[in-house]
Amino acid sequence: MNSIIPQLIVNSIIAGSIYSLVALGFNLIFGTTKFFNINHGVISTIAGYTVFALSKTYGMDVWLSIIIAIIFAGFVGYLSEKFVFLQMRKKRASGMVMLVGSLGLFTALQAIIAIIFTSQFQTISTDVGESKVYNILGGIITQTQLIILAAAISITVTLALTMKFTKFGKAVKAISDDVEVAKIVGINANKIIARVFFIGSMIAGVAGIAIGFDTGIEPTMGMNLLLKGVIASIIGGVGNVYGGVLGAFFLGFVENFGIWKISGEWKDAIAFGVLILFLIFRPGGIMGKK
Amino acid sequence: MKENENLLKLDDIHVHYGGVKALDGATVYLNDGEILALMGPNGAGKSTILKALFGIAPVTKGEIYYYGEKIYPVPHEIVERGISFVPQGRQIFKSLTVLENLEMGGFSINSRAVLKSNIETVLDLFPDLRKKLKVPAKNLSGGQQQMVAIARGLVTTPKVLLLDEPSLGLAPKVVKEVFAKIKEINQKHGTSIMIVEHNLQSVLEIVDRAYLLDKGQVVANDTPQHIISSGLLEKVFLAHK
Repeated sequence: MNSIIPQLIVNSIIAGSIYSLVALGFNLIFGTTKFFNINHGVISTIAGYTVFALSKTYGMDVWLSIIIAIIFAGFVGYLSEKFVFLQMRKKRASGMVMLVGSLGLFTALQAIIAIIFTSQFQTISTDVGESKVYNILGGIITQTQLIILAAAISITVTLALTMKFTKFGKAVKAISDDVEVAKIVGINANKIIARVFFIGSMIAGVAGIAIGFDTGIEPTMGMNLLLKGVIASIIGGVGNVYGGVLGAFFLGFVENFGIWKISGEWKDAIAFGVLILFLIFRPGGIMGKK
Repeated sequence: MKENENLLKLDDIHVHYGGVKALDGATVYLNDGEILALMGPNGAGKSTILKALFGIAPVTKGEIYYYGEKIYPVPHEIVERGISFVPQGRQIFKSLTVLENLEMGGFSINSRAVLKSNIETVLDLFPDLRKKLKVPAKNLSGGQQQMVAIARGLVTTPKVLLLDEPSLGLAPKVVKEVFAKIKEINQKHGTSIMIVEHNLQSVLEIVDRAYLLDKGQVVANDTPQHIISSGLLEKVFLAHK
């Protein structure tokens, strides 16, 4: 076996884990509200910078700053729903108007981050497994990456169980099916959607923090992360929570094996090439309708 | 509720969709324990009355009273007050199973035990659904989906059940079954029922009273027999042919 293959597999799995976190939150919100929430990307950036500020600037314990950052990301998502998207829905704004609104919010929040922290690339100095490195069948994986993988798996499983077995999860599916009928049967749809934003944004926050520890943070990181999550969602099936995870790992493998013999700069070209192929030949995604 | 007080009253309701008047000062009331029909040609405003009550039609003027108390149409609050709505077109949650659909019908119930007991009561009324609880609702026939929709509306043991065109798109044999169930719900549980229906022959057999609407206004409020003998039905419907 070629010696680089185990490393490509490890890299693919880690990339897939991060993309799956973005896709999970994005699909959860899209599936419930049926609008393309671009703002989701900047939530990841906010979480990354919150950890950076708390741990590096104020010297807070890294694990404590991670927990605070995840909750803070959830609150930012919740507030954006409460004060922006809910108000737009009340005015019966179309999907396109909602998309533009979310782009506006994304841009404003990204600009604020750049003003506060500058546009420079930053690393989050950490003791979260930075020093330990493992060799798995010839592939090198850091402890940070193992934590990212474990986080992705545990969040996916928890969300799947929540959707399947809880009253909240079933209400989310009901709203996703038909929000008007969901309201008619007595579901307080606005309250459920607000919770969806909180949870989806917390998951996006985990993705942002994962990227921060794996590579580093910059104010514009949110858009790239969002696009990868969206590509993963489209590949897997937009609005399908599990499809997004499948699409994320598919994308991770295609990206990393695609640059096996060529420059790493081709990664994005490959990712978007795959997106276009899916949009032409299977727009519903792997788990969606043909 | 005071004596001679209506259980539910929609008073002087006006609903406008843009420049179109869907309801133009309609007043409709429902008495405790009765089955009431709302009849009229397309665009008469029948379904809009139910939607206005649930806050899903833009009411520009008018008031709603329940047990004599003025209420404001917010869907989940209306359900919590004991009013259920079964919308037109067998609108079930297609990605959920039959059981999950029924559970969603009881979303406002906080006690798991009460929810379970209520679902059992509903399944006694619709025994055919018992065998299909784990089946995705989208896989059921049209008649079965309508039964799920009505059953879902009953999980909260409502005092008032609003039915919008329950026979729409169903085979004649199934229509008969649906209307028999509606009568049974009313007789067994004392549920007051307001029903919008095109199938006049079937609906007039089971109702105590009926409203005839035309162009957003009430043109008759009487027993089915009197409405039929008055000739108003033909007059209103033929005017729209």
